[in-house]
Amino acid sequence: MEIYTIKDVSFTFPEKEQDTLSHISLSIKSGEFVTICGKSGCGKSTLLRQLKTILTPHGKRTGEIYYGGQPIEGLDQRTQASEIGFVLQNPDNQIVTDKVWHELAFGLESLGYEQSTIRLRVAEMASFFGIQTWFHKNVSELSGGQKQLLNLASIMAMHPSVLILDEPTSQLDPIAAADFLETVKKINRDLGTTIIMTEHRLEDILPISDRLIVMDAGVIIADDLPHKVGQILSEMNHPMFCSMPSPMQIYAGVDNDLACPVTVKEGRQWLNAFLCDNKPAEMVDTKETIGISSRTVITFKDVWFKYEKNSPDIIKDLSFEVKEGQFYCIVGGNGTGKTSTLSLISGILQPYRGKVLIGGKNTAQMNAKELFTNNLGILPQSPQTLFVKKTVEQDLYEMLSDKPLTKEEKAVKIDAIVKFAELEDLLAMHPYDLSGGEQQRAALAKVLLLEPRILLLDEPTKGLDGFFKEKLALFLKKLNADGVTIVMVSHDIEFCAKYAEVCAMFFDGSIITSNTTQQFFAGNSFYTTSANRMVRHVWPNAVKVEDVIERCQTSR
Amino acid sequence: MPDKQVTGKRLSGRTVLATVLILIVIPATMMLGILVLNDRKYYFISLLIVLYTMIPFAMVFEKRKPQARELIVIAVLTAIAVAGRGAFFMLPQFKPVVAIVIIAGVSLGAEAGFLVGAVTGFVSNFFFGQGPWTPWQMFCFGIIGFIAGILFEKGLLKKTKLSLCVFGGLATLLIYGGIINIGSLMMFTSQFSWQALLATYISGFWFDMVHAIATVVFLFFISQPMIEKLDRIKIKYGLIEK
Amino acid sequence: MKDSFATFHPIVNFMYFVVILLFSMIFMHPIFQVIALISAITYSIMLKGNSAIKFNLLYMIPLLLIMALMNPAFNHEGSTILFYLNNGNPITLESILFGMAAACMFVTIVIWFSCYNIVMTSDKFIYLFGKVLPALSLILSMVLRFVPRYVAQIKVISNAQKCVGRDISQGNILQRARNGITILSIMTTWALENAIETADSMKSRGYGLPNRTSFSIFRFDSRDKIVLMIMLGLTIMVVIGGARGENTIRFFPSIKMVAMTPLSMVVYLVYFVLCMIPVIINVVEVMKWKSIQSKM
Repeated sequence: MEIYTIKDVSFTFPEKEQDTLSHISLSIKSGEFVTICGKSGCGKSTLLRQLKTILTPHGKRTGEIYYGGQPIEGLDQRTQASEIGFVLQNPDNQIVTDKVWHELAFGLESLGYEQSTIRLRVAEMASFFGIQTWFHKNVSELSGGQKQLLNLASIMAMHPSVLILDEPTSQLDPIAAADFLETVKKINRDLGTTIIMTEHRLEDILPISDRLIVMDAGVIIADDLPHKVGQILSEMNHPMFCSMPSPMQIYAGVDNDLACPVTVKEGRQWLNAFLCDNKPAEMVDTKETIGISSRTVITFKDVWFKYEKNSPDIIKDLSFEVKEGQFYCIVGGNGTGKTSTLSLISGILQPYRGKVLIGGKNTAQMNAKELFTNNLGILPQSPQTLFVKKTVEQDLYEMLSDKPLTKEEKAVKIDAIVKFAELEDLLAMHPYDLSGGEQQRAALAKVLLLEPRILLLDEPTKGLDGFFKEKLALFLKKLNADGVTIVMVSHDIEFCAKYAEVCAMFFDGSIITSNTTQQFFAGNSFYTTSANRMVRHVWPNAVKVEDVIERCQTSR
Repeated sequence: MPDKQVTGKRLSGRTVLATVLILIVIPATMMLGILVLNDRKYYFISLLIVLYTMIPFAMVFEKRKPQARELIVIAVLTAIAVAGRGAFFMLPQFKPVVAIVIIAGVSLGAEAGFLVGAVTGFVSNFFFGQGPWTPWQMFCFGIIGFIAGILFEKGLLKKTKLSLCVFGGLATLLIYGGIINIGSLMMFTSQFSWQALLATYISGFWFDMVHAIATVVFLFFISQPMIEKLDRIKIKYGLIEK
Repeated sequence: MKDSFATFHPIVNFMYFVVILLFSMIFMHPIFQVIALISAITYSIMLKGNSAIKFNLLYMIPLLLIMALMNPAFNHEGSTILFYLNNGNPITLESILFGMAAACMFVTIVIWFSCYNIVMTSDKFIYLFGKVLPALSLILSMVLRFVPRYVAQIKVISNAQKCVGRDISQGNILQRARNGITILSIMTTWALENAIETADSMKSRGYGLPNRTSFSIFRFDSRDKIVLMIMLGLTIMVVIGGARGENTIRFFPSIKMVAMTPLSMVVYLVYFVLCMIPVIINVVEVMKWKSIQSKM
């Protein structure tokens, strides 16, 4: 039975010429797990918001949407509230009340259920989602993953028959994201709830999806089983293909007629089958060449740090060096002290033992001016913390407001940075009207106006799709080529593997191992790229997708 | 205009309730206080009257079943005011609360101004400690927001820096200082005399002055960007329709 | 120590504090004041331990002294004149005693409120008023959710601003103030823009539909009923005593109280028990627990 039938729907925002959605036709069966992907701004969020009228933005829509055979406009608000569950992107913004138990009951209160019914439903949900242990807590005490789980649970308490999720894991770290997706899968499998979801993290989601829909510029360009979509995109040579899981990309890059793998496990089986007929190529490792600079710009010497006198140590005996012009990545799990390390570099935190030197000078003895003009630049995790003004342009000027420069000099500087960060079309917009990736570029431009020699980045790829990640990497490489040293903290292994020069693994307050990127990932067996996990039994040194494809092609 | 009718009804609803309170309940309270309570009459009567004046606002607000977006904006501004009061904890009396309440009254209307003020007074004391001073603070903050809203509607208060700063300074000094000092006098001595009231005003003058200056400073710097931001929210998301 | 009175139903907690605060404010009779002060101090120490002792000694005693001295300076009523001030105003015994009584009352109320703040947590208050004032109590709950979030965000913003050279801990006062206001401004935009999604989340979960109910995890069970009945009984007895003039004292022009009778002793006892309800409950609970443990 169809739960949603979408017939020839187009949608235009007010005062916009171009359709955000154009001629979308789609039908979704009850109990299906549908994933929608596409680069930011392709209209996938707008499409999802058409499926619940109370969330539909203002604008002009043509075509029809049926829910359970009934036009969606005819569906009363009560039915919509309870039957169509909607989880949004930001875990924090969706929480309304201050207590976990109250948040769980919020929707049921709106629907006017009695005390005893709510009590039962809330108890059920708390048990299903494993919330019992933090049921009485204040929501401010929860982690990001717990918050998003709470949002999901408070919607599931209303017993929806369809669950719509708009990039629900984009603000979560990989472990929390995997947990969240696992729960979504459980809801689909055990309760038969229909799932419609947009997502960037395709590696985790494709194996559990029944159907993958790809959108581009408001149009559906592919709609099929996940592995078939991979083939379609590869044939179209579409840029979205770069976002597909590594096994699919490797498969498409190698001439073969086996079945398309989706997971690492299937990838391994595929490789084994492929290599049955072919002899694995012996690859001589191309030695990575690193422009060895003699100058050390960041030095940590036996650094210890804790937040309070009696609290546990966050950073323990940390020593490392970053050379001038390096692209240095710090990877590792949550709460291991990565972000604290960045704060130590920037002087926001001070060690209680040991030294942090920037260009040979101790940060403890430097003032803000010395540290942050032509020296350190920091791109915060949330770019919104930098925006002050009404438009992007004013915001850029704000950065130079206390600099002794003439108007012309300022204009020249800003022009250059606008060109570099490709902000030309966005200058007149309000910073909050930009998409996540654009906001980040504007923030980066602001930071770069201070002309830093060392750039620190905290989780810069969080919430970005593949397209914006590539773009960010391009900017970073350009800066790197100009001699700017880059230190990045990230969960995003694939990104680090592709672009970093040196990677370091953080664990328990210290760096456990650090090496050139390829050596680093080749040396890890679990904490490494999925391409490497797929082929490491044959080619332990192949880290990137391209490495694997090259080796496969030469295996004859 | 259907909207206008609603506003008219709203005002009259509040007026009726207020009339009842002023003509019947408040005199009754005074009688009771004078007849039954000997020594504590002033404090009790004043406290109860302060509480009564807030009832019509609460009732009218509840009765018209406000939309989610209205609740959100009031909650956000209140939370900013509370967080602001906390952020400046090291400077006694130098607080942005009155400034934010006035901005709320001017941008969102008299009712929202009152609610932001009163709820700020109440909630901030969850963090700084509730006490007999809570109703007084709620009332003072609330009434300043309310008056700001009314004056703006009547065209007597403009959204300009100068106009807001003058109003803010006077309101803090005269309304807040004027009322809160009566409250503290009642709390401390429970015997009312003009002499003691004058002494309270004199001893509290510099505190009130610092408070008024703080309000002027905050209004001078944040009023324009804040009003702009609120206008943007109102237009972009249709949060509060005119 | 865990307070078992706080585990009672919010109505019981709230009624207790309303009654106690009212009585503490109205009754100026010295014995009533002493009973209330002792009970308030006992309960506050039970709730907060050493910090309550410190608070009482460090702030309350000086406050008490200052206030007791302040009253005679302005109040010149009373018939027993002790001496005259330079400006010719008399200082009377009655006004000194009245000042002490008023100060004692104020200190008692402050200590009661320090207990109230611990027992009547925000969720209890929201529950109590959720049925009468649903929209306002939801605002309350939302504000309580936003405030810690904003405080954390202010820190994040000020760190981010520090990293672009805008540091509120450095520079002259004007620069610092400007940077502080920039932070407040960024904070406001951030809060307002992000709140849109919160409004969406509320609407999406059906907020605004008619006949909204309010859920709570509190249950009114038989022990709540018993304590509430006891409280009610004690309160009525105290009020009867009050109506008979047992609890009042006249200060001006000369001090006058009713003579102590067996009946007044009963009223004092009843008032003492009423004030001590939380303490009694806690002590009984501890004894019960000990006896259970010794049997196990």
